[in-house]
Amino acid sequence: MSRGLWNRETVALMLLAAYLPLALFWLSAGRADALGRLGLCALVVAVWHLVFMLVRAQPPSLSALITALAIAVFAPEDLGVFRLVLGISFGVVMGELVFGGWGRNVVNPATVALSFLGFGFPAFAWPDFDAPVAWAAIPAAVIGVGTGAMSAALLGGAAIVAVIAFGMGLLPEPVLLVAGLGLVLLVADPVTCAATTFGRWLNGAVYAALVLMFASNWDGAAPAQIVVAASLLSSLAAPLIDELVLAIWISQRRRRHGRT
Amino acid sequence: MAERLNFWSTLTDPLIRQNPVTLQILGICSALAVTTTLATALTMSVSLTVVLTMAAGLVSMIRRHIPDTIRLIVQIVIVASLVIVIDQILQAYFAEISRALSVYVGLITTNCLVLGQTEAYARHHAPLPAMVDAFGNGLGYSFVLIVIGSLRELFGKGELFGAQILPLAESGGWFTPLSLMLLAPSAFFLLGLLVWTIRSFKPEQAEAREHTPPLYVEPAE
Repeated sequence: MSRGLWNRETVALMLLAAYLPLALFWLSAGRADALGRLGLCALVVAVWHLVFMLVRAQPPSLSALITALAIAVFAPEDLGVFRLVLGISFGVVMGELVFGGWGRNVVNPATVALSFLGFGFPAFAWPDFDAPVAWAAIPAAVIGVGTGAMSAALLGGAAIVAVIAFGMGLLPEPVLLVAGLGLVLLVADPVTCAATTFGRWLNGAVYAALVLMFASNWDGAAPAQIVVAASLLSSLAAPLIDELVLAIWISQRRRRHGRT
Repeated sequence: MAERLNFWSTLTDPLIRQNPVTLQILGICSALAVTTTLATALTMSVSLTVVLTMAAGLVSMIRRHIPDTIRLIVQIVIVASLVIVIDQILQAYFAEISRALSVYVGLITTNCLVLGQTEAYARHHAPLPAMVDAFGNGLGYSFVLIVIGSLRELFGKGELFGAQILPLAESGGWFTPLSLMLLAPSAFFLLGLLVWTIRSFKPEQAEAREHTPPLYVEPAE
């Protein structure tokens, strides 16, 4: 996707378009400081993109806004400016920019920043979401899949596991709602999810299974905390899943054709 | 001895330019494990430097008598005896720190920094240069441990050597401890940042690229 119209920034724009309804719902249903929080996050992420552009000549990306939105939505509440800036700086620099910018990172910078905030400041409460905000994940997924920026396989894999678990009554509804939001905002990032089609089915299923496991066995965890932890682990597992799928493909080829 | 060794550069080279931890990435296991407080980091640095220097001296003294086939066993026996002595001294005089360090003093025996030093340098040099080089490497290791240990204790608890430096929020100050700093991952982050800092001042330490990137062709507009 580096030729013609479809370069990195087009994908970022499509993702942004997908997140717009979600962002609007979140801002209108949110607390008074939601806009200020989003602005602060965007400012910090943009400053780091600018620094890396000036020092390392890395082109800045519109994905900064996506990262800022994801962090603003999921970050623990009442952290204060200093802690928020510290967490975002850590996530954006160590999670994305040192690898060479958006497109070369292994984990989603927003996930790294949120995990850092969660582990570093366990005393602060995680946000909870109203149902309309969480339902806004559905238009985001539809637009994302329609424009080709999000993987239908990834969402499908997660949906299958979630539907089965919900049908069996294993997945409480608040967790399900937040998990959908996290799936769209954190896991469906085309850079850090698995890259093979079957791998994406697996990746989505792994995410949903992790959410399920944390929801039933992790006492006293907030839904947002469960979702952030599950998205971190599933994005770490994504390269392994890809490797597995490629190994299966190669062995199949060898069986059918006798050579690779 | 054909050429005179420059003792000063042998001693100071391993501090930053040839630092065993940040350049050769040796001995990081213990460097990560014992740096939650400055006191344990300092104790560990002193123990390792003493063991390293004495082991280098002893191995170097008998270097012409060690059979090549069993040299590793001989070196490990020497290092292990020194470690046991240090461990006993710590248990006798610094019982609390010894408990905090738990198994890591004993693990100095298997620290690749010590074995690498005796194997690569002390076996081929006279006792004095070997000891000077080992002492320098010990100081380089201590430098990294003390930097990481003080950062972790300062930001994890607001203390240095157990004395409150930054006033805690719960007792009326302004500082909220970063509990992440007391967990093992933060040592990895800090060590990585330290290596990054050193290499941006000394770019010659950066490793060579494993691949040459493909030539980028500008997309047709």
